[in-house]
Amino acid sequence: MTLRAERWLQLAFVVPAALYLVFFFGYPIVQNGVMSFQEFTTRTFFTGEAPWVGWYNYVEVISSPGFGRVMLNTAIFTVVSIVAQFVIGLALAVFFRRRFPLSGVVRSLLLLPWLIPLIVSSAIWRWMLDKDSGVINQVLSGLTGSDVSIGWLTDVNIALPAVILVNVWLGIPFNMTILYSGLQDIPEELYEAAALDGATGWRAFWAITWPMLRPVTGVVVLLGVVYTLKALDIILGLTGGGPAGSTETLATEAYRLSFGQFDFGAGAAVGNILIVISLIFAVLYLRANRKAVDE
Amino acid sequence: MSSAGLIGASRGWRRPVDAAVGILILAVLLFPVYWMVNVSLQPGGRAVGTPWFPLNPDIGGYVQALEEQGANLITSIIVSLGSVVFSLAVAAPAAYALAKFRSRWLTGLLFAILVSQMVPGIVVANALYSMYNQLGLLNSVVGLIIADSSAGIPFGILVMRAFMMNIPQSIVEAARVDGAGIIRTFWSIVLPVSRNALITAAMFTFLFTWGDFLFALTLTTTADVRPVTLGLYSYLGSYVNDWSAVMATAVLASIPAIAMLVAAQKFIAAGATGGAVK
Amino acid sequence: MTQRRAAWTAVPLALFTIGALALSGCSGSNAAAPGDDADSILLERPAGSTNDKKVYDDVLAACEETTGVTIETQDVPYDGYLAKVLQQVSSKTMPDVLMLDNGDLPQIASSGALAPLSDFDINVDGYADGVIEASSYDGDLYAVQPVANTIALFVNTDMLAAAGVDVPTTWDELKTAAAALSGDGKYGMAFSATATEEGTFQFLPFFWSNGGDETDIATEAGAEALQLWVDLVDSGSASESVLTWTQADVNDQFVAGNTAMMVNGPWQFPSLDEAGVPYEVVSIPAPQDGDEIISPLGGEVWTIPQTGNEAKMTAAASVVECLGSDESQMALASGRDLVPTNTELVDQFIAENPKMAGFAEQVPGLRARTAQLGADYTAASEGIYTAIQTALTGGADPLTALQQSAPNK
Repeated sequence: MTLRAERWLQLAFVVPAALYLVFFFGYPIVQNGVMSFQEFTTRTFFTGEAPWVGWYNYVEVISSPGFGRVMLNTAIFTVVSIVAQFVIGLALAVFFRRRFPLSGVVRSLLLLPWLIPLIVSSAIWRWMLDKDSGVINQVLSGLTGSDVSIGWLTDVNIALPAVILVNVWLGIPFNMTILYSGLQDIPEELYEAAALDGATGWRAFWAITWPMLRPVTGVVVLLGVVYTLKALDIILGLTGGGPAGSTETLATEAYRLSFGQFDFGAGAAVGNILIVISLIFAVLYLRANRKAVDE
Repeated sequence: MSSAGLIGASRGWRRPVDAAVGILILAVLLFPVYWMVNVSLQPGGRAVGTPWFPLNPDIGGYVQALEEQGANLITSIIVSLGSVVFSLAVAAPAAYALAKFRSRWLTGLLFAILVSQMVPGIVVANALYSMYNQLGLLNSVVGLIIADSSAGIPFGILVMRAFMMNIPQSIVEAARVDGAGIIRTFWSIVLPVSRNALITAAMFTFLFTWGDFLFALTLTTTADVRPVTLGLYSYLGSYVNDWSAVMATAVLASIPAIAMLVAAQKFIAAGATGGAVK
Repeated sequence: MTQRRAAWTAVPLALFTIGALALSGCSGSNAAAPGDDADSILLERPAGSTNDKKVYDDVLAACEETTGVTIETQDVPYDGYLAKVLQQVSSKTMPDVLMLDNGDLPQIASSGALAPLSDFDINVDGYADGVIEASSYDGDLYAVQPVANTIALFVNTDMLAAAGVDVPTTWDELKTAAAALSGDGKYGMAFSATATEEGTFQFLPFFWSNGGDETDIATEAGAEALQLWVDLVDSGSASESVLTWTQADVNDQFVAGNTAMMVNGPWQFPSLDEAGVPYEVVSIPAPQDGDEIISPLGGEVWTIPQTGNEAKMTAAASVVECLGSDESQMALASGRDLVPTNTELVDQFIAENPKMAGFAEQVPGLRARTAQLGADYTAASEGIYTAIQTALTGGADPLTALQQSAPNK
């Protein structure tokens, strides 16, 4: 087969995916970008008219009094969630490498948090975290012997950590499963060889596991960041962005602007700010990737 | 047996201890799931002041869920499995290309895939509604399968690519030297070696589609094709919630999904790549 | 090589530009197939509780007979209902009859997607003023609202008797009663103070009855009302969790006996009766003795979207008119524990449903939330619930909180 014909075949590998992307994402991305520069209201849905307002929406959104806090909430929410999910997920993945009875079943059952509809899990957590009648406070009271009445979702200082906790709970299965598969791909022989050299336990982890896992780690962290930045339903279900905006992130604000205030242009602007932040991470990922490939 | 510390099969006496620890982890992490089952069995679906155990289990919610959501469950299963097949078919070759072929504009494609993951779902759903309306794909199983793959395909490409980057170039070269064409190499060498990657991508595509509410809501206008995520909402009015039916439906819906995931997990075997090198 | 590359970037770019243009261009068709007669119409509503569905289905069946029009129903989950409606507006695939919450009507009407009822000679004589205002936008009537709901004070008679407390009628009495009823993990009062329209809805009776005005929320009158809520939570008479409780959650607390009084609506009667809670419905306490209570109008309205199909729209109009007829109102009201909006029916309704007396009497005085602000009400509502959240979490005193979050348009 000639080199040219082979290049065409290579194309065939990606053409279906590329076409799918163009049709399913091309238009929405463009439309969302354009919308952020327009005055897009309910009227626009019917008439199609959306006057061009340039950077107005962005200026409005960025200069609004709560914006700094929203950015801070988003940053804390994302960073803490990712770190916690990844570390716990990796620890669990490593743990499950030990073959013991029921390990397969337990691993699958741990995917349940992801499986349950978000409206159900957010309702369950809301009840569990209720200040007065919630199970969590009851358990803590029992364990410490005193009356624990933490306002998990009602105290402005505790609401964000509580929401992060639930988000980490949701994200652990994702990290654990992918990292576990990644671990399974590492050949046993490498560990055996290392053991012969006397490297076991933590040293084996740093010398073999961590480097071999790097591509998978990279994608898990990147996707984790992208998905967490977009996380909307769980926050809405737990606190609706409250109390007093203490759990309001860029994603919830975009939703509120679009479907609470019907200011779709502003909602799109916030959505695009979110995308830009994700893009920064994507670029970092690609750079790190290229370095790895070149190595 | 190597004493490789963190990995490998546990020694004899450690196995039941490990199993116990595993179950403890399960109990802690899945406590909310237990609570869900608990509420589903409470008479009247009491959400506040729920006792720790359902001492008087009331299966009314389950009866209602089975009667009314049975068909929806089947729809969900068909759409989810269909989405897995479609997504893998599109994503696997693309993942391989992005992992192994070198080309400047392939990096551009990778970038585009990453960007697609960043777009809020509602934006995609709105655009799809118009498109589907023109093409007559609303209220169709095929339409939902293709739309729900919008989560599985980019994700599958990204994850499988990461796994495939670890495939040693040597085995690919060996196949080429033996005269295998590019497609044959992919089919006979790369895919079997990427079994873990395929299964992982398949599982998450299944999960994404199974839990999808947005596309199900947007792309259906009648009750003909109604995945169970939508069916759940027949019990949630704006003021009044029938929690026992909701929880029962959620529990019932989890069962086939978990069954499939358990089956899939069994196939994630160790050292798939290593064996090929030998 | 560069030429090749350029071609490969140009092709996808061209593809989706063409796609985008095509999609935006040809979206003028509506769902009606050619040759459709005007004898059947499509009616869209949120999926609700099973009882609601049954009562409505019976009324719709009766309307099918009176109007001779076949009615096909389409249930959409309430979560995302508006998003769905907007999608339909933009793709011109609206149903023939569309149900909306009365608070959302001005927004949708402002888009031009609804037909004014004056086009169809629909009779709305006898409807309460607040109802007419809520169903109007820019001076035109766009919807028919057959039944209404509002909120009132529910008290647990057993708990009040046990504490020797009388039913409160003023704010001061409310504070003392709630304090007396609190303790031992129980609260005297519960309401919904979420960061949503529900929070605002619950607050409005207190706000309006004290002279608060949604066009200018940062007034002393408004701040005093907010101070009442702050006092209730600070003194421990109401749980901090009111910040997260929806009206459904508040009801759950009342049923579980965790709170002696609550602000809620008549739609809770079925669950209260089923749980056997000994309750009584009284009017929300007034600021001072003798002050008038002004309650917000709740409930859904039926509209006629502009589908462009004249025959169907006329058929839809006859269905909408039937939904607002006396028979429909009485059936819907008694079946769903709501009140009819036609003031001439109030007496008859109370006679047939005595337990609804407390709510039915309020109908003539119900105030529409969107009466003054129309489509701008959403901004005021957000200002109100944001201020409630800030004040209740101690972030600022009520007047400052209202000033900070007041809409500045």
